[in-house]
This record gives sequence, C-alpha cells and structure tokens, in this order.
Amino acid sequence: MRKLLVIIRREYLGRLRTKGFVISSLLGPIIMIGFTVVPGLLISMRTGGATKIAVVDLTGKMYEGVRESILTPRKDEDGERKNPPTQMEAAPDREAQMSQVSKALGAHYEVEQVTAGGRSVDEIKNELNARVRKGELGVYIVLPEKILEEGRAEYYGRNVSDPITTSQLRHSLNRAVIEQRLREANIDQNRVRELSKEIVLETTKVSEGGLERDSGGGFGLAMFVGLFIYMAILMYGQLILSSVVEEKTTRVSEVLFSSVKPFHLMLGKLAGVALVAITQYLIWAVAFGAFALYGVSMLASRGMDVPLPRLPLSFAVYALLFFVVGFLMYATIYLIVAAMVTTEKEAGQMALPVIFLSVISIYLAFPVIRNPNSSFAFWISIAPFFSPITMLVRIVTETPPFWQIALSLGIGLASVVFFVWVASRIYRVGMLMYGKSASLPEVVRWLRQS
Amino acid sequence: MSENGVTLALDRVSKRFDEFVAVDELSLEVRAGRIFGLIGPNGAGKTTTIRMIVNILVPDSGRIELFGEQMSGRLQDRIGYLPEERGLYKKMRVGDQLRYFGELKGLSSREAETRLDRWLERLKLSEWKNHKTDELSKGMQQKIQFIATVMHEPDLLILDEVFSGLDPVNAELMKDVLLELKAERRTIIFSTHMMSQAEELCDDICLINRSHKVLEGSLREVKSSFGRRAVALRAEGGDGALKDARLVAGVKSYGDYVEVELAEGADAQELLHRLVEGGARITRFEQVEPSLHDIFLQKVGEGA
Repeated sequence: MRKLLVIIRREYLGRLRTKGFVISSLLGPIIMIGFTVVPGLLISMRTGGATKIAVVDLTGKMYEGVRESILTPRKDEDGERKNPPTQMEAAPDREAQMSQVSKALGAHYEVEQVTAGGRSVDEIKNELNARVRKGELGVYIVLPEKILEEGRAEYYGRNVSDPITTSQLRHSLNRAVIEQRLREANIDQNRVRELSKEIVLETTKVSEGGLERDSGGGFGLAMFVGLFIYMAILMYGQLILSSVVEEKTTRVSEVLFSSVKPFHLMLGKLAGVALVAITQYLIWAVAFGAFALYGVSMLASRGMDVPLPRLPLSFAVYALLFFVVGFLMYATIYLIVAAMVTTEKEAGQMALPVIFLSVISIYLAFPVIRNPNSSFAFWISIAPFFSPITMLVRIVTETPPFWQIALSLGIGLASVVFFVWVASRIYRVGMLMYGKSASLPEVVRWLRQS
Repeated sequence: MSENGVTLALDRVSKRFDEFVAVDELSLEVRAGRIFGLIGPNGAGKTTTIRMIVNILVPDSGRIELFGEQMSGRLQDRIGYLPEERGLYKKMRVGDQLRYFGELKGLSSREAETRLDRWLERLKLSEWKNHKTDELSKGMQQKIQFIATVMHEPDLLILDEVFSGLDPVNAELMKDVLLELKAERRTIIFSTHMMSQAEELCDDICLINRSHKVLEGSLREVKSSFGRRAVALRAEGGDGALKDARLVAGVKSYGDYVEVELAEGADAQELLHRLVEGGARITRFEQVEPSLHDIFLQKVGEGA
C-alpha cells in the first residue's frame, strides 16, 4: 500500500513539474477565452468613432421617427424577456442577438438629416457618394416616398457586408415604418405590443424530492460531462500510454517488478495521471469561473441577459463522481493497449475504441432521455463505459432510486479495478516472456494461464 | 540469514513458455555470505531462473525458498536485483530516481536520501545528483543502477553482468565494493558469461545449459574434479619423455612453452623425473588447473 502511494506520488508530482503541464494549464484558459470572446469582440469592435448616418427622407415625415429608432434601444426587446432564455426555447433571433451585443459593447451612431433643398434625388446621391468616398460619412439611407406602402428603403455605404450595422439599421427602419403605419391607421402601438406578447413555457420537473424548476439545461450538462470525459481521455490517455511504454523501452519495468506488484504499478499510474487530470481541470475551472463571473457581470452591466442554467447541487456532485469514474474507465483502455505494445507508434489506432464507445454512449442517451425508467435505460446506465453519460441523463430527467446510482458507480469502479488487473497481467506475462507486442489471441491465452 | 546457512534453495523448479521449456527441474543451493556464480551460455535459462528468484515470474512447478521461507512478494524487499538490461528513467534526476527506487524497496524518504548520498559519495558521483540521468555516461549510469540495487542493504544481491560497460578503474572499484558486501555476510548471486570474472570472484558456481544444470559446486571442487590434468612446460631437450604414450596423451605448443596433457593414470612427478633423467634443462614446470573457460567450453560443447 505504501509502495502504491510512492508510485502515485512520482507519477503525480513528476508530471506536475513538467513544462508541458504548466504551459497547458496557462494556455487552456487563454485558448478558452480566445475562442469565446475574441471573435465577438472583433466583430463588434468599432474602429474609429461613431458611424455617421445621413438620412434622405423623401416622404418628409419619417425622419424624426427613424432618428429616434436608430439612436434609442429597442423597447420591445427590453422589459419583456424577464425569464432567461434556455435551450428549450426557440433560438432567439440571431440578428436581434447581434444588435444586442453591439449595443452592449458600445456601438453608436450619429444621425443627420439631408434635406432636398430643391435638388433632384440623383444630385443628392452624388453629393453623398462623394462624402462617403471621402470618409466623412459612413452610410446614407434613402427613404422613398412610397416606403410605407412598398416597404423598401435604400442603403448606401462603402461597406455593405458589415452585418451589425446593416441588421441594426434594418431593424430600426422596420420599427419606425411599422410605428408610422400604425399611427396613420390610428392604432395604439402600446396596445399592439401588449397584445402580441409572446408566451414563455415554464418547465417543471416532478421528482421524488418534490417539484424542481428545470430549464432543461440538465440534459445539456450531462452531455457536457460526457464531452469533458472524452476530452480528458484524449489529453491524458496519451500520458498513461507513454508512461507505461517508457518503462518498457528503458527496461525500468524489470527493476520495478522486482520491487512491486504489476497491479500496484498500473493502479499507481492510473491514479497518478487521473490526479494530474483533475488538478488541471480544477485550475481551468477556477480560471473559467473567474472569467465567467467577470464576463457575465461585465455583460450584465451593459444590459445583456446571460442565461445561466440552474441546477441542483446534487447533480453537480453526481456529475463530478461520474466524470471521475468515466475518466478512469476509459483510461484503462489506454492502460491495456499500453501493456500490449512495445512502442508508442504501434498504439496509433488506440483512440479508436475510446471514440467508438463514447460516441455510442452519446447516442444511447437519446432513447434513455425519452424513457428514463425503462429496463433498457436501467441496464445501459449500469453498464461499464456507457454508465457515466447515460446514468447522468437519467439523473437529470427522472432521477432513479439512489441504489441504482450507487450500483452504477460501484460497477464502474469494479470494472476499473478489473481492467487494471487485466492490464497488469498482460504487461507482466507479455513483456517478460517475449519482449514483443501481443496479439489479441495471445492476450486471451495469457490471461488464462498464470 | 537463515540458520542453516542456506540463503536460497531451488527445488526442482521448472518454467515453460508455451512449448518452450526455459528451466527444467533445476535444483540448487546458495549459501549465505558467499558469491555464487550462475554461468551458462546465452539462452541457457539464467535470466528466467533469476526472474523466478526475484518473484517476477512464478515457477510452473517446484519450490523456491528464500531465507528459509517460501518465496513471496514480501521477501522482494530483501533482494537487490541488477538486471542485465539496465533500466533508468532518462529524464529523472539522479537523486530523485534513487530515492524512488529506495522507497519502492521500503525505505523511508529520509532514509533513502541519506543512503543515496553516502553511495554517490562512495562511487564518486555526488556532483551528478541533480543531473538528469541521460546526461550521464554509460559507465556512470551503470554505477547509478548499482546503487539502486544495493542501497536498501539487501541480504541477497543478484547481479547480472555487473561489469559490462565499466572501464578497468571502475570495474576494480566495483569489485572492491562486492568483496566488502561479501565481508558483511551478504549473499551474492553473480550471473555472467565472462568466465574470467566468475573465476576471479566466485566461491561457488553453477553451470546451466539448455535449461538444465550441468555442473555445480565450489570453484575448487569443480576444478579438481574436472580431471583434465596438464602441465605447462618450457624445456630444452628431453623430448623422449614426451613421446611416451603411457605418460603423455598430447602436446600443444603455445609459442615459448608447451602444454602437456597427461595420460590416464600418469603422475606429473613421474614426468618431471623422466625429463630430468633425459637431460632436459627445465625453465618452467607447472601443473595447470583447467580454467573455468575450458570447463565451460567442454561442458557446453558436450551438450551441443
């Protein structure tokens, strides 16, 4: 037992001190921020000051409404979205989201009116085109006389592929035109808005513990855990592999086997690398948490709604437990393959069973979510390799009795121990006997003999 | 150390890999405080035998007793094993590496630290303690591996080709250390196919060939029982005596001397007497013991 701890400590501390670990710990959050924030920032970044917009109002009555509409935030968006949007709701209009982003991040406009003053439309356009070319003007809009009937306006600018400005202007014009139409038809706009308010579907989960509000984020999070297991395995499985193979190629294994049981050696490696993975994830979680808090509060202070899934604490605990068990389970595949090969190159195809099994468990989650208490769901949620994702899906949909969760975890851990035993067996017999890579039939034979 | 002076006893131990019999019904005894040479050609079954002794492999049949107990994982801590194929972590610092191996043999971290310092000092490697192993020369790595084998003060040391890769100075240093360990009544099993080394160091030997024991006993007994009696002779004249078939079985010329193989039942004194009678001027007359090398060649050759 003491020797097992010695092995775990070497695997753990040895890896923590490597440059690779330090770099990936630092790089992880940076990449995460890079992928989530930077694109948004770049798109909505306003290089230079406010965009100058000239409005050529040929109707003679629209300018004030349009100006107001461009300069003020959209009233119909604010105030009605009291409930945070969730995955279960229809995806919010992308353009609306985008204008929200740009508003939150400080996009702004200056509006000026261009009066005809006796000139023809073409003359005005020529003059404005010149100003756009000189950069004095960002955009100009022509509101034709029949805009209320035909619903068409013209947009001129140097850059017509900027999605934020065009979509925002389209929305603003749209609103101004609708308001004008309503006004001319003598209909009260506030009344219209009140009557066309959308409904919100509130989902509530009926579980043994009572009623819980569930926004549906639970299922997403179960998938998220699955994804995390998968990512962790792809990152750290390689570490397990190289750690075992290194001892084979350097021949340290023979010295080790004269001191410790192969089972302890393999278990120590698995536990050591798992601790490294957990440490790294914790570092990332703290970094991400800090970033999320900062980011959410920053966006919230600019008037943006940020949807946060609300989940019971018990689910977080289960998610953590199944993450750990799932990681260990999939990692044993690497352990077994590492025991079979003599060089890392030969292990090239080894990610295949890992990918295969994890993809299957994600597909299995769908029948489970529709029928979480069927016997199919029961068996699949205690089966090794499938249980981490499918049991989590059952927990968030219709939480099964506690004994089933405990059974699933128990079987998971037992299979980890079993596979470690298998790996240590293959390692010892295979390497010492032949010093070559093992084929599958050979492995089966070795497992049977002592 | 067990009471009857036997450190290790193998009783009809066999190990087969699929169809191949690596060790067949091998029995041997290793006595405490002696250096025991396990010799044999490549593929004879030496390494398999050693792996069974250190409990890496389990025999298919037969019994291994160490310190008077049935072999088990618990006894591993009292053995120090230096495998023929050396193994060190390349990227680990020398000090960390030795501490790790020491701890795996049951030493506390602090105890391992003091002992490895002492040994590094002894083998003149102290300045390398914080270097990574792959920065060291082959010979230095060899000595590091040796420290890993002995630092937990095992009662039984198993050294497979301990001198390979060492320059003469270091080989001498290592020999001194081995003799010191022997003086501390530690038992050493010494496996090699370099017969001159075995001859120099071993008290007892066991020769195995093709998974069988061919020869066993103290070096002295083995040599004297090995009845190839010869005389190294440098003389002028007296050729008549050498032609007497009752005395001489054969003569081999080695430059400035000849090796005379005595005939069955002949006495060396008789030959000397006859030579002197024949008027030979003798500058060298020496009874030659068979070297381990010769014994090895003859025994292994017989089997072939």
